[in-house]
Amino acid sequence: MDLRLSDEQRAVRETFAALFRKESTPQRVRIAESTGIDKALWQSYSQVEALGIGIPSDYGGADGGLLELALVAEEAGRRLAPIPIAETAAAARLLGRLGEKELLAPVLSGTNIVSLATRSTPLGDQLLVDGAIADALLAFDGKCLRYVTRPDGQPNIPRRNLGGLALARWDVHAKSHLLTDGQQARAQFAAALDDVRVLRAAALVGLAEEAVYIGSEYTKVRNAFGQPIGMYQAVAHPFADILSALDGAKLLVHKACWALDAEQDDGPALATMAFVFAAETAYQASQHSLHVHGGYGFTEEYDIQLYYRRAKAWAVAFADPRRELLVLADRRFGPALTGGH
Amino acid sequence: MDFTEPANWRSIRAQAEEFIAEHVTRRVIENERRTGDGVDRVLTRKLGARGWVAPTWPVEDGGAGLDQFEAAVLLDTLRNGGVPTIGPGTTMLPANAIKATGSDELKGRILPGVTAGETLICLGYTEPAGGSDVFACATRSERDGDDWIVNGQKIFTTFAHVADYCFLLTRSQPGSAGTRGLTMLLVPLDSPGIEIRAVRTMGHERTNVVFYNDVRVADANRIGEAHQGFSVMRAALEAEQNVAPGSRTTRIAAHALEFARTQPGPDGAPLISDPLVRERLARMVMEAEVADLLGLRVAFLDTEGEKPGPVSALFGPESYVRASAAAMDIAGMSGLLDWTDPEVPVDGSMDAHYRSAVATTIYGGSSEVLRSLIVENRLGLPRSRPRR
Repeated sequence: MDLRLSDEQRAVRETFAALFRKESTPQRVRIAESTGIDKALWQSYSQVEALGIGIPSDYGGADGGLLELALVAEEAGRRLAPIPIAETAAAARLLGRLGEKELLAPVLSGTNIVSLATRSTPLGDQLLVDGAIADALLAFDGKCLRYVTRPDGQPNIPRRNLGGLALARWDVHAKSHLLTDGQQARAQFAAALDDVRVLRAAALVGLAEEAVYIGSEYTKVRNAFGQPIGMYQAVAHPFADILSALDGAKLLVHKACWALDAEQDDGPALATMAFVFAAETAYQASQHSLHVHGGYGFTEEYDIQLYYRRAKAWAVAFADPRRELLVLADRRFGPALTGGH
Repeated sequence: MDFTEPANWRSIRAQAEEFIAEHVTRRVIENERRTGDGVDRVLTRKLGARGWVAPTWPVEDGGAGLDQFEAAVLLDTLRNGGVPTIGPGTTMLPANAIKATGSDELKGRILPGVTAGETLICLGYTEPAGGSDVFACATRSERDGDDWIVNGQKIFTTFAHVADYCFLLTRSQPGSAGTRGLTMLLVPLDSPGIEIRAVRTMGHERTNVVFYNDVRVADANRIGEAHQGFSVMRAALEAEQNVAPGSRTTRIAAHALEFARTQPGPDGAPLISDPLVRERLARMVMEAEVADLLGLRVAFLDTEGEKPGPVSALFGPESYVRASAAAMDIAGMSGLLDWTDPEVPVDGSMDAHYRSAVATTIYGGSSEVLRSLIVENRLGLPRSRPRR
């Protein structure tokens, strides 16, 4: 039992904290809202070899596991970094597990953005989370796991959306080739979804922590009725519940990473918990932090609205948290018996 | 990072389970449910014989030499197995204060009995008008020769009716206020002038109101310096806030799951097949996992010397209250039955949890006090309570 990060893990966190602090400023986050990506940041991100984290060195990766990736995602979340992390990392790890060295090489260099279609419905029916910016997608249709190449002429402008995400649909007739099928495809896709759950959770934890910081700092300097509003318990106390939940969400992310990396039976259940709990906590954190700004929080000029919008967008881009609780129920209690109703 | 449970936890849990199998009969469990005493004298002596009353103390001091984690595993297992732990657990708060600040004579006279499970000490902090504001203490102590004379009234003095001593907070300097002018006395509960009256709780616990009328207490039973009671009490209070309430949310989640697996819903199908039930049970196990992880971290950081603020003491009980209400909604009518009913499912635990849970957000520091401490310590928000 050891709940501390190793020195190497701390160093990873520091490196990325510094990178995103410098290159993912609120101004650049605002600018990237219309494109879904900050290309200069993506460049810097590839140059520090971030794309190899969590990929075995046998396949050209930088080793490390899901925990290292989660630390990166958390720091990215803190600064709302407008680059694709969760689905792309999950896709890269999936390619690694399948031994697809050739497909992986341009991913690790940052030349190709390969993302994941997280639903197993037909690709043409999905609004894709990295659709405007991805060069290829890994998609599972319930039987086959395919590598789908971006169709020619596919516009790279995202659909206007709440979270500044690179949302787009792809033409149904996109070219693709089979990676694997049957049981292996199903298992590998499921593992990739758990990576997404954990990494989205980690990003939401970072987002929530910064939202709490922004909100609580504001309550120290904003005066009303002759004293800082942070002195009013109705303003201050929700932060205490949020901090407790935030600590819990972070511990869940860490435990889920450890359990998935160590192939513990409870890993998938923990990944689901981490996602749900982080999603709910990020919403509460950003909602309260926006609220304490009064009318100012509602204006575009203040940064807290950037957090509030993404707190919801980053979660529902993967799943409805309450629906995910039913996934957790299946994982912890066994599948529901049907026919009872 | 490694969440693997150390092998010695398993062996400690196994030892505790062996103890439970041997000593905790159905009669012991039912006796505690009927009396609400919070302690079983015979069982407490048996705990003492193993060093389990003071598990974190060194073996040569009568303890078991366990670290914080091991002690938490031990006490959790004992409590979940039906050992009444309120008495011995509470006794350790003043025992730690005595060990830290008491005279050598007092330590030698009291502590061996404590670790042996012979001596029980209750807490005399709260007064009828005090509540969370412990330092509003109005119970007076006045020096008279080698004695102190105590007058006043305390409430929620749990297990006073079976304890040997009360760790009593008194105001020794007339006119002083707040944390100044306080003296801690170890008052033998068989002293003349003490009257103990039962207060029954809806959780079937018995607590007490204790009246002190011209009670003489030897100065030798003073703990720490006269008029410096605050520093003595602070050690004990901090201990209380840092003791993770453990996994009550995990317990109720397990009971609610057992209920849902074994009982039919209103349409006759098993409750567990209903998505509305499954969602709430899933939320319960998720919050239980969080409560456990926060508790684990408290014990862990304590060994590291870091303090995350009382987030575990806030989240654990709050999640337990939420779960107790959700479990009752899920269970419905048969969840209302009490454990004495011949048809009661899961030994009446839905009723028992719902009755007990609400007190947990009060007695280890009310949630509101904890929230203030958290935002002050972690976020540097200005203090909202008036300074005295």
